[in-house]
Formats: sequence, structure tokens, C-alpha cells
Amino acid sequence: MPNYIIQKCLLFLLVMSSTALYGQVKYEKESRMKEKDVPKMALDFINSLEGKGKVKWYLEEGLDQTSVEAKFKLNRQKHSIEFDTTGNLEDAEIQLTWKEISPAVRDSIDFFLGQDCKKYKIRRIQIQYSGEPGIVLQKIKTGEKVSDYAVRYELIVKCRKEVNVNLYEYLFSESGQKLSVSQIVFKNSSHLEY
Amino acid sequence: MNINKEILLVLCLAHFFSLRISAQSTYQLGSLPSINLNHKLENDWTVNFKIESRQVMQRGSFDGKSEKSFDYVLTDYSMIAAKKLGLNSRLSGGYLIRFREKEIIHRLIQQYTITQRLTSLRLAHRVVTDQTFFENEDTEYRLRYRLATELPLNGQSADIGEFYLKISNEYLNSFQSSEYDLEVRLVPLLGYTATEKQKVELGIDYRVNSFLSNNARNSFWICLNWFVDI
Repeated sequence: MPNYIIQKCLLFLLVMSSTALYGQVKYEKESRMKEKDVPKMALDFINSLEGKGKVKWYLEEGLDQTSVEAKFKLNRQKHSIEFDTTGNLEDAEIQLTWKEISPAVRDSIDFFLGQDCKKYKIRRIQIQYSGEPGIVLQKIKTGEKVSDYAVRYELIVKCRKEVNVNLYEYLFSESGQKLSVSQIVFKNSSHLEY
Repeated sequence: MNINKEILLVLCLAHFFSLRISAQSTYQLGSLPSINLNHKLENDWTVNFKIESRQVMQRGSFDGKSEKSFDYVLTDYSMIAAKKLGLNSRLSGGYLIRFREKEIIHRLIQQYTITQRLTSLRLAHRVVTDQTFFENEDTEYRLRYRLATELPLNGQSADIGEFYLKISNEYLNSFQSSEYDLEVRLVPLLGYTATEKQKVELGIDYRVNSFLSNNARNSFWICLNWFVDI
């Protein structure tokens, strides 16, 4: 068979194989923001924190909501503070180590992860504070609890189940009760592999 | 890798390439467009179809001689099936058929990739072994390693409507009829995430080989890659 006929057949097979479409994945777009575009309330909140490293601002656009996020280091810990688009505080997340969590909470988290996964490894832990901005600010500045605020733990976990291994985002309450879990869908990397 | 190490690496690469481009070295300049179709299957399997064509526009040597003519060289069709092994690794196997003038060339491909997701970039390590079967030549065996990185130009990841830089460096060891050759590739590309399922890349694919025993042969291919998830 002449070469060009084989080539045409291969091209036809490729086009015909492009039928099935896969389900929608969660749309989330994150881009850098200039400081001049940050809502004043959010800027004032971050500027009131002394001794912090360089602040990077991001705009996170999801299907349901858009947030403004500041990322920086303070006291050698990674901080991530999220605001709505008008500058109201949503929550503050600070990266922790496993040992910084109380033993009772650790045991509870271990119990739930052991139920879900055959084998697991915690990749990242963040403690999440939300509530009145002044109280959360005080907590970040001094570490002291002056009034009530909500505490949650957000964990990124590599979890091996029966047939496959994936990365999950877990949310636990202050006492270590499982609140939610969602699978992290990676961006396609085929352009780096082929 | 800190900044000093990066500068050292760039200087070493620049020194390496400057040694190889001597007056007797030959070059060819052309285009290398490709279409990459990726399809996700169940149980962590994926399949990749690729069509890549090669055209030469100019040939010459670095002492000044050159010849301009547009020549179609070849077209490759390949299909690779991949299975995700761990969170970041994939084992693949596939087949490539090459149409070059009146010759048909067959190639078997085995590859292993690890993709690292760092805070602001992605790194992909790829190890490939392949066996190429010619009509009138001995089988060629190759062992390849490629490091590729994607650097988003806005934010921490290349989202829809955003540009990225993709830079890859590959070393290809070739064994054929008891002869050995090394080819080095350096491919800087500017990419654009057009939609959730489509990416377009444009840049130069620079290749140098034969420099171990003869005068170096340099190739400069203008790349236009289109990646589609189907």
C-alpha cells in the first residue's frame, strides 16, 4: 500500500478516536495581583503585621467565588491570608508541623486517615483561623487568644487506596473531627511528558 | 538549586555549545510542527497520539556556505499508552511509524516519567529507551534522558489564557552497528494555555550530534506544538 494511503488511514483513526469527552473539573484560576489593585481593607490588615517577609498577592477565581490572597513568611512560618474582593477577612492559614498539633487531635486525624487510606503521608498542614478580623490579627501577631475564633486544620494528604494513589485536601475541626475531603485534580502534564 | 548554581549551569552549557560550533560544523534550519492528542482512560491509563512533520528550509556550514530550498523530510505518527504508577510517575510504552521518502521506519518506545510539582514551576524527568528498525540498516538502540520545566509567566501556575515558558534539555545516547553517538537537545518554547484542553507552543528545537567523532551537525527546528485533550 502506498505510504500516503497509510498516512491518511492513520489520520482518520486519530480524528475518529476524539469522541468521548471527560467530565468537567473544578475551574480555578489563580493569578498575581499588583499591590495597587488590592482592596484597602485587605492591604491595611497585612500592613499592620510587622516583621513579615515579602508579600505576594494573588487573585483566586473559582466558579462560585473570587478571593484575594496574601502570601508571606512571618516568624519563619508560611502565612496565607484570604479576603473577599471588598477586603473582608475570610480566613488566615499558617503552616504547621505535625508535632505542633496536640496529641489528642493527632490521634483523631490519624484515625480518620487510617479509615480512608490503606497507606497515607501528610504533605502539608495548615491551621486555619476565621472570625472577627481584629481577633484573628491579634492571634497572628502575638499568638494569644483574646476572644473566640474558629480553628480548623487543613491537610494535604497523599492517600493510597485499593487501586490508586491520589492527593486529597482534608478539613478537620479543632478537635480533629473530619469535616470535608476533596480530591486534588492536577493540571495535565502531557506537554511535559511527550 | 540556588541562583549561583543556575548561572554555573548556564555558563557550562554555553561553553559546551561554543566548543561544538566550529567552522566545519554543518547546520540545517527547518520547521517541526506537531499535533499531540491525549485521551484519558479508566484506571489511571492514558493514551497519546502524536503527528510530527519535518521540513528543511536551509542547509549549510558555519564557514559561510549555505543553500536555501524547501524540502519535506518526513512525518512521524506515534501512539503511546501510559499507566500512572505513583502520585507523580508514569510508565509508558508505544510505537512510532516514520515515513521518510520511500522508506518506512518502525520504532518501539518505553518511557518512565516523574513530574515534580513545585511551588511556582513543574519539573518533568523522562527516561526513554527506544529501538528503531530500518529497512536497510541495523537496528538503532537509544537511551535518552530529558529534563523539562514549565515556568508560568503569571502566578504560580499556567492557567487558562496565560503564557508559560517550557525549557527542556535532553541527552540521547545512540548505539547502532557497534557505533556510539551522543545527541544533545535544548528546546526553549513559549506556551499558551488556550483552554482547559488545549495548549499551543512556539519556539526553537536545537539539536547537535556527531560531535564526538566528526564535525558537529547542528539542527535548528522552528517548533509549533498543539496539545489537545480529547
